[in-house]
Parts: sequence; C-alpha cells; structure tokens
Amino acid sequence: MSILATKDTHVVIQGGVAGVNAARRMAEFRYMNKQPLNVSAFVYPPDAGKTNEIVCGTELVAIPIYKTVADATAAHPEINTSLVYIGANRAYEGTMDALNDSKIQTVSMITEGVPEKDAKLLGKHARKLGKTFNGPSSIGVVSAGECRLGVIGGAFDNLVACKLYRPGSFGVITKSGGLSNEIIWICSQFADGITTAIGIGGDAYPGTDYVSYLEMFENDPQTHAVVVVGEMGGDLEESAAEWYGAKKRRIKLLAVVSGFCQESLPKGMKFGHAGAKEGLKGEGSARAKSEALKKAGAIVPETFGALGPAIKATHEELLKSGTVKAIPDLAPADVPRLPKTVAEAKKDGEVLVAPLIRSTISDDRGEEPLYQGYPASELINAGYDIPHVIGLLWDNRLVSKQEAEIIKRIIILSADHGPCVSGAMATVLAACAGIGLSQSVAAGMIMIGPRFGGAVTDAGNWFKYAIDNKMTVDDFLVYMKKNVGPVPGIGHRVKSLKNPDKRVKELVGHVKSLGIKTPHLDFALAVEQVTAAKKDNLILNVDGTMAAVLVDIGFPVDSLNGFFILARTIGMIGHWTDQKRQGSRLIRLFDYLVNYASPKRRAVPPLK
Amino acid sequence: MAKVLEGPGMGLLRKWGISTPNYIVVTSNEEFEQLSKANDWLQKNKLVVKAHEALGSRFKLGLVKVGLDLAAAKSAVKEMLGKQLESVTIREVIVSEAIDHKEEYYASVKSTREGVDVMVTTYGGVEVEDNWEKVQMLAVEIGESPTDAQLAKLSKDAGFSGDTATKMAEFLKKLYTCFDNEDAQYVEINPVVQNSNGDLVALDAVTLLDGDAKFRHKDWTFPFAAEFGRAYTANEEEVMAVDAKVKGSVKLIEIPGGNIAMLPAGGGASVYYSDAVVARGGKLANYAEYSGDPPDWAVEVLTEKICSLPDIKHIIVGGAIANFTDVKKTFGGIINAFRKAKGEGKLKGVKIWVRRGGPNELQGLAAMRALEDEGFDIHVFDRTTPLTDIVDMAMAAK
Repeated sequence: MSILATKDTHVVIQGGVAGVNAARRMAEFRYMNKQPLNVSAFVYPPDAGKTNEIVCGTELVAIPIYKTVADATAAHPEINTSLVYIGANRAYEGTMDALNDSKIQTVSMITEGVPEKDAKLLGKHARKLGKTFNGPSSIGVVSAGECRLGVIGGAFDNLVACKLYRPGSFGVITKSGGLSNEIIWICSQFADGITTAIGIGGDAYPGTDYVSYLEMFENDPQTHAVVVVGEMGGDLEESAAEWYGAKKRRIKLLAVVSGFCQESLPKGMKFGHAGAKEGLKGEGSARAKSEALKKAGAIVPETFGALGPAIKATHEELLKSGTVKAIPDLAPADVPRLPKTVAEAKKDGEVLVAPLIRSTISDDRGEEPLYQGYPASELINAGYDIPHVIGLLWDNRLVSKQEAEIIKRIIILSADHGPCVSGAMATVLAACAGIGLSQSVAAGMIMIGPRFGGAVTDAGNWFKYAIDNKMTVDDFLVYMKKNVGPVPGIGHRVKSLKNPDKRVKELVGHVKSLGIKTPHLDFALAVEQVTAAKKDNLILNVDGTMAAVLVDIGFPVDSLNGFFILARTIGMIGHWTDQKRQGSRLIRLFDYLVNYASPKRRAVPPLK
Repeated sequence: MAKVLEGPGMGLLRKWGISTPNYIVVTSNEEFEQLSKANDWLQKNKLVVKAHEALGSRFKLGLVKVGLDLAAAKSAVKEMLGKQLESVTIREVIVSEAIDHKEEYYASVKSTREGVDVMVTTYGGVEVEDNWEKVQMLAVEIGESPTDAQLAKLSKDAGFSGDTATKMAEFLKKLYTCFDNEDAQYVEINPVVQNSNGDLVALDAVTLLDGDAKFRHKDWTFPFAAEFGRAYTANEEEVMAVDAKVKGSVKLIEIPGGNIAMLPAGGGASVYYSDAVVARGGKLANYAEYSGDPPDWAVEVLTEKICSLPDIKHIIVGGAIANFTDVKKTFGGIINAFRKAKGEGKLKGVKIWVRRGGPNELQGLAAMRALEDEGFDIHVFDRTTPLTDIVDMAMAAK
C-alpha cells in the first residue's frame, strides 16, 4: 500500500524536454518493479501529434503527445494524475487545465520560480475541487514497488540501493528535493525502507500541507511511521504538531527542522528555500517548530545526523511489538538490474558484435584522429603536409618528400580553370540561384565525368594496361581503337601542338627533372607523338599527364580521379564564395544563345 | 522575496493612486542642482534627505536628515554621496518633501498561506511596535478582494472616525489593489500621515515583491535590494549574475568574520550543514548552495568566490544524495576552481571536507579523492557517512 502515487496511478506529463527525462526515470522505476510504463501521454502543444520515445527496459515505447490535457484524457481515460514540467510563466494556466479535468485527481508540479500568488490560487482551486495539488518546486512522489512521479529517487543504482522495489514501513514528507533522497536512503539503511516519500516543494506556500499527507499515511495500513523534514518559516510544522497531538495516532512521527543557524546570523539574513523565511514576529523559527513537535509527542532528534539512529530505534520498536516483520534482503542474483546498452556490455567484455564496417585508414576513438595510426597533431609537428595525409588516407602509406611535391604541384595546377568550364559554371549557376555552399559545390562535382576532369582514372588505367602488358605504342593504339575508342588523356578541346597546355609542360618538366623512373609518363608522351602527328589537337592533356605521373609514383588507379576532384573543390568553393560576396542575382540563359529548333507554334489536335 | 528600495517602492504606490510626498532620487550633486531649479517644491518646502541604499539603521548612521531647506539639503546630499560604509558606497540619495502632520498611522498588507492580511492602526510611526495588539486585521481569502464595507469596518474598528475613516478605507483599498496587481508579498506604510488638506499620504514604504513574478511586470526596471541591511558584495552580485543565466541555481551570501566556508549542494541540505556548523560552535564564513544540476562552470565560479574568502580554515563540500544533479559534473567545476585557487597560492592550511551521493557519485568522489595526490588537504566521504558528520570531523580537526 502507499499514498498519492500507487500501482493504479496513470500519468500525463505536461511539458517538453524535462518531462521526457522524467518519463525515462519513471520507466526505469517501473522496469525495476517489472511493471509496464505508467506514463500514458504528454501534453506539449509545439509537438502535438508526434510521440516521445521512452526506453522501457529493452524496448522503446512511443508515448503520444497532445495539445491539451482534455485531448490526452479523452484518448487515455485511465489517466488520473498530471505531472507539470511547464515553465514558470505558463505553469498556472497549464495546471488549471489539469485540475479542471474531471479525470485528474492529483497534480504534482516540479516547476520552480512560480509566482507565489499563482501557487496560492492553484492550491485553493484544488482544495475546492477536493483534489491534490502537490508543489510547486516538488521533486515528486515515490511509492516503493509501485509508482514514481518525477525524478525523485535519482538514478537506477540509487533506487536499488534504497530498496525502492518493495515497500517498507516509513512514510516521508520533505520540502527539500535533495533531502528526500537522503531520507529514503536513511530509511532503507537504518530501517526497512519507505512506503511513500513526498516532496511537498520548497516554496513559501506549497499547494498541500503536512497534515493532509499525515492523514493519508494514518489511513495507510502499510505505513507505521512518518519522517517529516521541515524548514524554518511558515506554520506547516506547527499544524503538523497540532494534528499529531490532537489525539492518539496510529503512526509514529519523527521530525527534524532546519534553520537553527538563523539564531546566530546577522539580523535579517536568511538562507535556503523561498519557504524558509522568518515570520514577522519571530514565529516559524526552527526552535519554535521543534518545540511544538516535541510537545505533541513526535520524536525530534537534535541534529540531522541523529535522525538515522532515531529511525532505527523506531523500527526496532515496531519489530519488537510485532507491528512489522523483518524483510529479508534480496539474494544478489535477484537484485534488479537495468539492461546494459551494447556500448556498456562491450566495455564490460560481455558481448561480441559482428562489425558492420571495416576501416583500414583511420581511427577516431581516441582524443584525436589517427591516420594510419599516426596522430594528426604529431604529423603536423613533424613537418608533414597535406600531400602526406593524401598518401596515408588514399594509399595507406607515407609518401616521400619528392612525391609530396609532385602531388602538391598537381593540386595547384588543377585547383581552378576559370568560370566557363562545366564544373565551375554549374557551381556559379547554383550560387546565383541562392543555393548553399555544399549543394553548389556538389552541382559542380556532378559535372566531373568522362568529358570533364573525370578521365584521370581511365587514362591511368589504360596507360598502366599498356605497360603491364609490355605493349608498343602502335599495339596500344590498335588495341584501343578496336576495343575502347579514343584514348583517355589524349586530346584537348582548344589546346594543340602549336598552342600547348602550359600546365602539362610544367608538370612534365618538373617530373623529368627529378631523375626518377617514369615509364607511364614516357609511354604517354610517346603515344602523343603518334596521335598529335595524326591530328594537331590530339595532345597529351592535363588529365592524361596527371594520370601517368601518379601511376608512376605508385598511386592506385582507382584513386586518380580523386586528385582532380580534390583540387577542383578548391576552385568551386572559390567560385561560390565569389558569387556570394558579390551578392550575385539569379541568372538565366539569353534566348539568343539558344537555337530554338523545335516545331513552330501550331494548333493542338483534339484529345483522342 | 525581493526587497525594493524606497524610490521605486513609492513609484509603485503612486502608480496605483496613493499620494506620496514629492521625491527625487539623485546620483550626483550636479543632478540635484539641475533638479532643484526645475522643481518648485524643492525650493518651497522643508526637505528630507536619505541614503537610498539597502542599509539598516540609517538614522543611527546619520544617513537620514530632516527639516532641511534647499541649501542644507544640498550639503546633506554632498556629504552622503560617495560615503563609504564597510562594503557599501552610497551611490544614490533620495530627497523628498517634508509633510507637516500631527498624527502618524500605520497600514500594511501581507501575503499569508490563507490569503492576504490587511492591517491598520492609528498608532503609527515608532508607536506601532509597542501597540501591536491594537493593530486591526482583515484576512482576505485567496483569490478574493476586500469589499468597501469590510474596509470601512476595519478602518472604524482601528479607531478612525468621520472623514478620516472614509479616507483610510479608500487608502487601504488602493494599497490592496497595488499589492495585488504588483505581485507584492509585503507592503508596509509607516507612517501614513494626513496633510494640511486632510488627505492621507504615504511617507515611507517597505516593499517586498515576488521576484519570481518579474516576467509579467515589464515596468520593474529597478534592481532588487539585499534584505539583510547591507548592499550585496561584488562576489555576491557576480554569483547572482551567473545564477540568472543558468539552469539550476548557485547562491552565495558572505558572512564577515567566519572561518568555516560552506559549499554544500541543495537548498535543504545546505541549511542543515549551516545548522551543524553553528551547533558545533563554528563560525560560518558564508552561506552557499548549488542545486538543480547547474552547469560545471557556474559551480566553478561559486567555488572560486568561496576559495577567496579571507581567513578560512575549512571548506565543507557537503550534499545529500542528489536526485538528478550530476555529481561528477558539478564536482568537476569545484575541482577546477580548487586547482586554480591553489595555483594562486590560496587554500594554504585549508582542510576540505567532502560528502556526497547521487548520479555518477563514484566518479565524482574518485576525482575529489585524487586531489590528495596533488597536495590538497582533502577528506572525501560517500553516502555511507551521515550527512553532517563531515562538519563534526572538521570541527574536531581544528
């Protein structure tokens, strides 16, 4: 048995992220008790119609979100309790909605900083309707083995440590959220644990008082003693004392009150919760409350530290009188556990997972990325450069200084080729249409293919084929004509023998000056000798030159287009930022640039 | 609760139709000079000059001067502005018109658990303390307003008669309206006086507003004042500024002369820790709390301030078993500040006592324990040590 939050409690949570977090905590509690989730719905207008995914043990449960409390209770008639996680400036209206819903009996509000006037009006309205308004600033309510409203009780390990999976004999009422957990822990260590613990809220005027809850505990046969953790200010403790002293009560009452330090503080200085404020005439002091409670017969330890032993003594008395029986501890194997996530289980060496992906180039699991095992920062500090990173990530090796220089030159030579070529033009067109950087560059990228920039891999492939098969230039050209078509890497739209491509000249000159073996480049230049003799513009173009050189320094054929793509990305980003900087407007073709070769205007035939 | 200084408090009364003396709040002699030329009343009337700061016992400190002509008022303003009293510099002075009167009355409105109490008596001014039993009270239930008949009866019951009784009933109605509409928690007018026309005037006001309601009062442009008879210190203001920015909260009140520094978590536990220090005969150097899972940097700022408190012997890093405040994260902020303070040569001979539980408590406590290897005099305990035992240990350690 328990009070306020029971096994029959069904909850709607009003609010956003914090409410979802509370639902997750509540799901953990229910999982511990082997019970299904008791959150039926959320009310959060911005997300109405969607669902919140709540982890319940090993499953994800989708809980619907509604616009209003009425919508939620209409769809889920079992709802009888609302948890309010709405911001302080809107909490009043939301809570009124809940109180006015005929299906809802209990509303608990976690929101802090609610204006006092609003809290008072809500409390009065609830009392008028015969309902319970718990809070504001309430950490929640928890009934061991049954139900948890809010995050009270904390993390799963703490729930288990406090034996909240089964009821004890002690009720708890506190203003302070943090102390609720402390008392639950003390009750579980010094006695047999709690039935229900209630955070009443630390504000000046909570919606309920100790007496209402003491009445409920008095009528709950499972609860045999109640621990009240009070604060200076107000008169809730005095009323509780009055209630307790008024007649013989079944439950034992234990209480502590904070605020004795007040007596030795500079005048007017106040600490703690909003509720912890002194009355005008010294009423509501910790001492006055403590005295009143003692007088009424409550057990009032002098300090908080003495509360544990007092609870222990009370429990032993209950045992001796036969009122309660000792509850045996669970065998270690029966102690509830949360299912582990795969990551946790993996860390603990408990599962084997078949990997989905295999990567041989880099590792991101440490404090910085490793490229082929080399930390990026150490590469920088050792003087390595971008071409070395390309070598590591594209060919799993550290390239030499000489090779790095060749790669650098290739990138410099291919970085851009003005706005008129297909790639740049597509990027500019997209930029002028207001398209973002990544999409505009992607538009340019799409142009890279057999006719524009994408012949590097093909050229490398066929030059390598020739060398691997020890073909002569003539054999190669015959083979290509018969089986492939034009030789990739040979031929240029505008350049010719008389008007050579300076980039090719530059690259060939540099590579030849190094005195390294360049069989593929030599072969490609030999092919050019033959083809250019046939037709002036069938020269070795920049794609072909790059391809031959890169194969010569050992790069795999499949990576070759990458050099052009990488280099030209620099240019495309440049074109995009250039247009953006200028605030360029939308452009379109002029009609005089189009040959309109479609049929002239004519009559539309009747539809058959 | 948020205390409001006299100037803005009077402003709220005037907003709701209550007569107050003419007044101005000045921050410089030049400003007063200009205002004295612009306002006839400053030239024609006797004046009252008061320091406009959150200071208790202003009379005793010589910060209230009455019955002044303009010239005397000017020299009073000059004397007060810039005056240094412990941690407080007087930056504002309020100059108001003296109202000739014979009788002094008392009126107040106060929020209670059941509603609102309206209180009035003919024994105003300094007499009210000794005649508290003569104060007449009307309890207004939550959500209701006092009726004209109720207020008329209250006024008569308090001993007002004739025209004055009618006027007091009207005055109380306005006062209640002001209280209700301005989300006040306490408004006390002492004294209420009758001017030469027979109209009731509020001469002085104590106004406590509900700071939590600020979001619906766009015209609350004034700062709230400290409630404990002194202005906030620079450290307190800095922590308040952080508090206003973050989820959760961090709080600090400095108490000069103490040597036990407090850095506990939670609004409830922090007071028990303070109680424990006082109960064991210790002297608190401050009150502090962090709660509601504040970000680590906010806790770090709070810790820095606490490490800078003069002459401290112990720091009590106490806390109950948290529900959702992440112990590892918040301790991370504390540890950063401890290291910084140590690097700056602070914390010499200071013993640090830690007790805590809650989410990620194992990692948080382990990180604290590790500080021992860095040369901190730190003693770390977990949930199995009762809440305030670290205070007992600290006090026994000396």
